[in-house]
Amino acid sequence: MTATTAPSGVAAAGTAGAAATTIASRVRDRARDAPDRAAMREKIRGIWQETTWSEYWDTVLTVGHGLLALGIDPADRVAVLAENRREWLWTDVATVAVRAVTVGLYPTNPAGDIGYLLAHSGARVLVAEDQEQVDKALAVLDDCPRLERVVYLEPRGVRGRYAHPALLHWDEFLAAGAAHRAAHPGAVERLMAAATGTDLATLIYTSGTTGRPKGAMLTNANVDFAVHTATEGGGLASPPPGPDDLILSYLPLCHVAERVFTTWTNAGAGVQVNFAESIATVPANLREVQPTILFGVPRIWEKILATVTIRVASASPLKRAVTRFWLRVSDRIGARLVATGGRHTPATRLAYAIGWLFCYRALRERIGVRRVRYAASGAAPIAPEVLRFFMGIGVPMHEVYGMTENSAIATGNRPGRVRLGTVGEPQDGVELRIDEATGEILTRHPGVFAGYLDDPTATAAVLEPDGWLHTGDVGEWVDGTHVRITGRAKDIMITAGGKNIGPAGIENELKASPYVKEAVLIGDRRPYLVTLIGIEVDTVGQWAQQRRLAYTTYRDLTGKPEVVELIRSVVDEVNDRHPPVEQVKRFRLLPKELDQDDGELTATQKVRREAVARAFAGLVDELYAPGGDR
Amino acid sequence: MRTSRPRGRPLLRTSYAEDLALLDTPAKRVSTAVLLVAALALPFLLADDLLQLLAVGCVAAIGAIGLGLVTGYAGQVSLGHAFFLGIGAYTAAALSGDPDGRVIGLGVTDIALWLPAAGLVAAAAGVLVAPLATRLRGLYLAIVTLGLVFIGQHVFNEWSALTGGAGVGRPAATLEFLGRPLATTDATATRDQKLFWLMLALLVVFAVAARNLARSRIGRAFTAIRDRDIAAGVIGVNLPRYKTVAFAVSSFYAGCAGALLYTVTGFFDPGSFSLLLSVQYIAMVLIGGAGTISGAIAGAFFITLLPRLTRELQAWVPFISTQPNEVPNVFQVETILYGVLIIVFLIFEPRGLFGLWVRARNYWKAWPFSY
Repeated sequence: MTATTAPSGVAAAGTAGAAATTIASRVRDRARDAPDRAAMREKIRGIWQETTWSEYWDTVLTVGHGLLALGIDPADRVAVLAENRREWLWTDVATVAVRAVTVGLYPTNPAGDIGYLLAHSGARVLVAEDQEQVDKALAVLDDCPRLERVVYLEPRGVRGRYAHPALLHWDEFLAAGAAHRAAHPGAVERLMAAATGTDLATLIYTSGTTGRPKGAMLTNANVDFAVHTATEGGGLASPPPGPDDLILSYLPLCHVAERVFTTWTNAGAGVQVNFAESIATVPANLREVQPTILFGVPRIWEKILATVTIRVASASPLKRAVTRFWLRVSDRIGARLVATGGRHTPATRLAYAIGWLFCYRALRERIGVRRVRYAASGAAPIAPEVLRFFMGIGVPMHEVYGMTENSAIATGNRPGRVRLGTVGEPQDGVELRIDEATGEILTRHPGVFAGYLDDPTATAAVLEPDGWLHTGDVGEWVDGTHVRITGRAKDIMITAGGKNIGPAGIENELKASPYVKEAVLIGDRRPYLVTLIGIEVDTVGQWAQQRRLAYTTYRDLTGKPEVVELIRSVVDEVNDRHPPVEQVKRFRLLPKELDQDDGELTATQKVRREAVARAFAGLVDELYAPGGDR
Repeated sequence: MRTSRPRGRPLLRTSYAEDLALLDTPAKRVSTAVLLVAALALPFLLADDLLQLLAVGCVAAIGAIGLGLVTGYAGQVSLGHAFFLGIGAYTAAALSGDPDGRVIGLGVTDIALWLPAAGLVAAAAGVLVAPLATRLRGLYLAIVTLGLVFIGQHVFNEWSALTGGAGVGRPAATLEFLGRPLATTDATATRDQKLFWLMLALLVVFAVAARNLARSRIGRAFTAIRDRDIAAGVIGVNLPRYKTVAFAVSSFYAGCAGALLYTVTGFFDPGSFSLLLSVQYIAMVLIGGAGTISGAIAGAFFITLLPRLTRELQAWVPFISTQPNEVPNVFQVETILYGVLIIVFLIFEPRGLFGLWVRARNYWKAWPFSY
């Protein structure tokens, strides 16, 4: 099929001449140039099933025709409510191909949020993964007048049991697409040829740590700038990503960062995408795939570090001694690399080569980063200690910075020019300035979004008429080249002593401990700083077991005086690095794990400070009560 | 047409063929090749008497693989292995024997005929016994198969037209292929060198066939039956059919091993097929590692070489005598060692020699962690 469709697609593009480059046209060109290379893999029944570029493009065309058959017109919205899988990419690219707009929804969102997002975006078609997601969609169907069809991917529990007229199985949808394709050959290609740079490509909802999510509109031109910067522009790895690179796709595709690393590097550079089975299987999938490019949010890197710590501690004596020795060496190598910006000196190279034989090669293989040539952390601030650990064991780690509103493109640490504690240098083509009065970072470049959907007030608040975007992050220049972020403007705390404090730094230092999962700093207009700490139940549980400390539940564990002492030692250690005014005077352990369903976390697992402070107001009051223990 | 999968990622399996490959990692391919080359070179390095012993080891390994299939893979404990070995040995000997001799002989001297025939006759006997296995489990099956050995011994002792009679015996099958003798000393190689190569080649063929069977649908059915026969039946494994297949295949291996076993020494006696022989094969499987082909091979060589090892031991431990009339002597040590080894393995490493290897391999596989 590809043999006949690809040339016609090219011909269509050729006649229009000015058709904008979209992710759809990039996929089409890859299918023409390298039809038999692997584009993506998904593990089904124990086997990584490959999809080649020609199969990818062929399916995209069928899906595109399917959308046309359902009556999707240009600028209509198509929503996807699924974990990362091939259908996500097929739908995304096909939607862009027919000049419609993709809206990603978090599979973890409760039904109420799904209803709000579907109604607000005005999506006409929803691609829902399974019974769980279909249930959510059906529950809110009446609140979403524009939603016409729900296409479900997994028939189990749906087919034969649900008789709702809006429901359509993916196979039936594909069959409709194939029929439409036979009846209207070239319809999708004609739409692609008419695509312009100002067409909306996708609607990405911000996580909404402070209020309702807002729908950031990204155009084809925005996406193309992001794709170009991330791939050919050298904004990521050096040499740039290519068809020999592998990535593991495991973070939600509705988030702009995962979209960059999965969909956009895939279409833009031909990187092979491997879908993790689920977030719980990421460690195992990492070991299997051994990606060459790996993006993680701080939580992922912290978790890997915690896993290494705990597994070394429970290894046999010889292994423990050897590994601890080489991890001490890697600490020094890491420190040296931090000083040189990521370039090895002869001494560190020699130390690393010997350590590679005894520890680093095997350690990296175990945690799945053996072949990583470019690792990135972003989407939230991370403690420098965590980054240094990975640099020490030989994983080239780079902190990058961007946000939904600027297509995730702003700054990044470049290989060989890494400065720890900064988010790096502005990418090529990015104008970045720091407001002298407020310290807020502003960016201007072709990736800056077109505004929030149906919300001109919010758009005007962040987007100046001359194109400058207010990021809402406060930062400063380091040596005139690198940017350091000190915090979110709205999170800055002013203590009673009049000191401005960005909570992220201290929180991340606490979270660098393997025993701390969440830390929420409180202290705005208060006499001193206090922290609510959520423990990492795996590592603390293991720690307790080794000390023969019996416990039953999470709550029971947090109530143990020994556990409180353990966390106190972590807090004391962090306090030692700070002047008294920035020290945490008191803390309490959260009696439950924070949860999205309780409104304490966003879909991206970011903490909603107000919600936490409200939910645990009693604990906070205790912390400020006079005469209590520390 | 698919692209080949990315290099250096043995766990990234993109097809079931890859998932089921016999040698799925480069390390396994290289080590198997090295092992094979080393084995082929052995006859140039070792003395003839040791080679003869190793040839016996190869044949014993074929028999142990057979028992491993029915006991280790399919979980049907069989103490009747000596019976099937005997059937194979007498079928082959009778087929290739001298028509004018003192015992039955048909004069079919070609190994290409008598070896499969021996296997098939033994397999037929296995199929006859299999209905017992579909009715009985565990200890009861073991006892019933034990009965086979006694019946067999009685028949072999009494039927002197076939076996030559107790204490007398008869010549083993003739090693000929297309009219040319396979194992006679000539200018190129000695008899024992040729014997070793022949038996090694046969062992490789039988071992690869068994590995293939073990990873097939049949092999999976075997392991399902072993792990829990009721559960296996519930998920659709046809129990009578697969138990019959297990006994048939196992007996086929035993028959072939029996036919070959005595060609090395050239002569055998009906007293050989006693309970002791069955127990020896059980020991090979248990010491080597139940449920693995490599384990069965390792166990077979270990048990075959054990007497030789105890004799070598005498050089290092001088107070052990080589004279049967002194105490302690090597024969006593051998018997004691034999028992001690079975006890030690069952208690400390039930997975056998193969388990030791797995343990060592896992230690390094998990480096630098412990799990």
